[in-house]
Amino acid sequence: MKRIKRRTVLTAVGASVGVGFARRARAVEEVKIGAVFPLSGNAAAIGQDARHALETMAEIINGRHNIPMLLGEGGGLSGLGGAKVKLLFADSQNNPQIARSAAERFITQDGVVAVIGSYTSATAVTISQICNRYQIPYISADNSSPSLNRQGLEWFFRPSPTDIDFTKAMFDFFAAIGEKTGEKVQSIAIIHENSVFGSDSAKLQARMAEAAGIKVLANISYQANIPSLSVEAERLRAADADVVMPSSYTSDAILLMRAMHDAGYKPRAIMAQDAGFIDPAFIAAVGPLAEGLLSRSAFAIDAVKQRPAIPAVNALFRNSGANKDLNDLTARELTALQVLGDALNRAKSTNNMALRAALRATDIPGNQTIMPWAGVKFDETGQNIKGNPVILQYQKGQWRAVFPFEIATAAADWHIKR
Amino acid sequence: MVERAGRALLSRRRRELLLGAVVLALLAALPLGVSGAYLRGLIVLALLYAGLSQAWNILGGYCGQISLGHALYFGIGAYTSALLFTRAGLSPFIGMFAGGLLSGLSAFLVGIPCFRLSGHYYAIATIVIGMMAALLASNWDFINAAQGITIPFHGEAWRNLQFRTAVLPFHYVMLVYAALMWLIAWVIEGSRWGFYWRAVKDDVTAARSLGVSIYPSKLAAAAISGAATGIGGALYAQYVGFIDPESAFDLSLSVLIALPAVVGGIGTLWGPLLGAAVLIPVQQLSVAWFGSAAGGIDLMVYGALIMVLALSRPEGLVSFFHGRARQEAVDHG
Repeated sequence: MKRIKRRTVLTAVGASVGVGFARRARAVEEVKIGAVFPLSGNAAAIGQDARHALETMAEIINGRHNIPMLLGEGGGLSGLGGAKVKLLFADSQNNPQIARSAAERFITQDGVVAVIGSYTSATAVTISQICNRYQIPYISADNSSPSLNRQGLEWFFRPSPTDIDFTKAMFDFFAAIGEKTGEKVQSIAIIHENSVFGSDSAKLQARMAEAAGIKVLANISYQANIPSLSVEAERLRAADADVVMPSSYTSDAILLMRAMHDAGYKPRAIMAQDAGFIDPAFIAAVGPLAEGLLSRSAFAIDAVKQRPAIPAVNALFRNSGANKDLNDLTARELTALQVLGDALNRAKSTNNMALRAALRATDIPGNQTIMPWAGVKFDETGQNIKGNPVILQYQKGQWRAVFPFEIATAAADWHIKR
Repeated sequence: MVERAGRALLSRRRRELLLGAVVLALLAALPLGVSGAYLRGLIVLALLYAGLSQAWNILGGYCGQISLGHALYFGIGAYTSALLFTRAGLSPFIGMFAGGLLSGLSAFLVGIPCFRLSGHYYAIATIVIGMMAALLASNWDFINAAQGITIPFHGEAWRNLQFRTAVLPFHYVMLVYAALMWLIAWVIEGSRWGFYWRAVKDDVTAARSLGVSIYPSKLAAAAISGAATGIGGALYAQYVGFIDPESAFDLSLSVLIALPAVVGGIGTLWGPLLGAAVLIPVQQLSVAWFGSAAGGIDLMVYGALIMVLALSRPEGLVSFFHGRARQEAVDHG
């Protein structure tokens, strides 16, 4: 009886010492980062892609490579003695409350150094707020709502451009291409899904059109995941504007293209607000109907000359299980982890204050990333001020960068004359 | 005979109240045994849904009017409180009563046309009205349309009902809410209204022949149920810190509000609490455990659980407790 007791005690002591030791040892070996994305529901495909993108970047940091960009050599986080990045994923189900508790779980139970998210703006609001309360950085990888960095949060960092930048790029393109070809945009028709993303986008477009002296012939709002868009397609046909400007998620984007086709309407130009239109599933579903489609983007996969890291990173991404090329969203997600990794290196610590100071001091030149941006440098709200978007066009089965002209890889196919 | 039945009823009601006090004390002590913000947050949610579902139970359970549009009252409560807090700086403690009042009023107004329908038609009408409200909310600029309302953190204070990282205050706020809802249901069970409503639920014609005025009786149940749901909505808004039409007005929320009562035992005192105690942790934990693996496994687990419960315990989880539910049914007969 006595012997057993002693053995139990000894084992317990031994185990606890071991656990304590292991934990201390692990702290230098790996750095945990939480990722909250919609992994189920109607945005599940995007969440799964995000997972592959982040895992690709983690593999680049942790492995041994020779990719010509920041952290492209691998070998772990040099500033932390070669510590490896360990990603933890959580499904937000696109629900603000679930996203919030996932972030809280990561912070309080798993001890993550930062949280990355989250695709939709609604989930980004609650994640960024809870991160702010626990004083843990939230890296907004792919949320583009301009209101997010105006919440007055001190732990919010967004390397990607916002919708204001994106929409401005569209109108800059209209002005520049009008100047170049003489075919000026005189009217637009807006169609948007009515959640935050679509209605914000439509509001900005209407405002910027007015400022540019462009007439808005139709401004149509519809419920996301609607079963049919044929009435809306008819209204677009009746308006017959120079450019149709849709803001839709994947299933609606497919529906809209098919409905316009069924109505016998081929718009002279379509300028999409990214999202569903850039989703490979969209291209797969509409096929040749996508020819000539324009979209804003934060990423240009064919700008290989200016961003030599793209082919290697893209190959790794394809082999990570994604089985597709990097796109606007996945490239931004990947870059978000790169920015965080760089900050951890410079912070030389996983302490939250040191990490925030390092994030605030971030200054990465554009050619050290895969993005077509001038660079990454945060203003006092945590917004990157060097992230300039591009305009892409789907030409002969490929997305080509057509604007700004200095990084364009193809000339825009632009014929809007009646 | 009647006297003995009356005495039995009285003593049973006293027992229920005593049990209620014991459960309340246990729940108040629960956080002592649970560490970690995440698990405590989970209990906060379960208590909120226990309260919300009990509020739904007043109309859906006791009065038998199945509403699948309670998100409307939840949303009105949440938005009223959030708007008063963010735009007028009013404490959520004022906001939740303003919200409750508006929700109760709207439940009353919805009832005026809808209680002329009966059975399934009433349920369908509530779905439609709920969806219309969701559409209106996501297009109404005054309440930020689809943007939703972010409730900024104004500093840790009871007045603001905001706490930096502490979960405990919300535990007690939600506990008080759930306990109040339980108490209201308990009072209703023994009141004249309670008997009216159960009579209406069992047999409308018979109830009418006994002199129960059906229509006003249903309206009263709707108003109380709506107001109570609205207060829950206001609490949710303050707890989560963000509301938008999708999270405050959606049809799925209406189902989520009704589900604990249905699974736990519809029209019973303990059903909503039992249902919420099982469903909310399973829902949240399955997201946490399986959510990161592959899309949807957590939802399948959750769905399978509901199916198993519905098939094995059609009278609800309360029937686990030595046929007490059946006993009750006889008593109320």
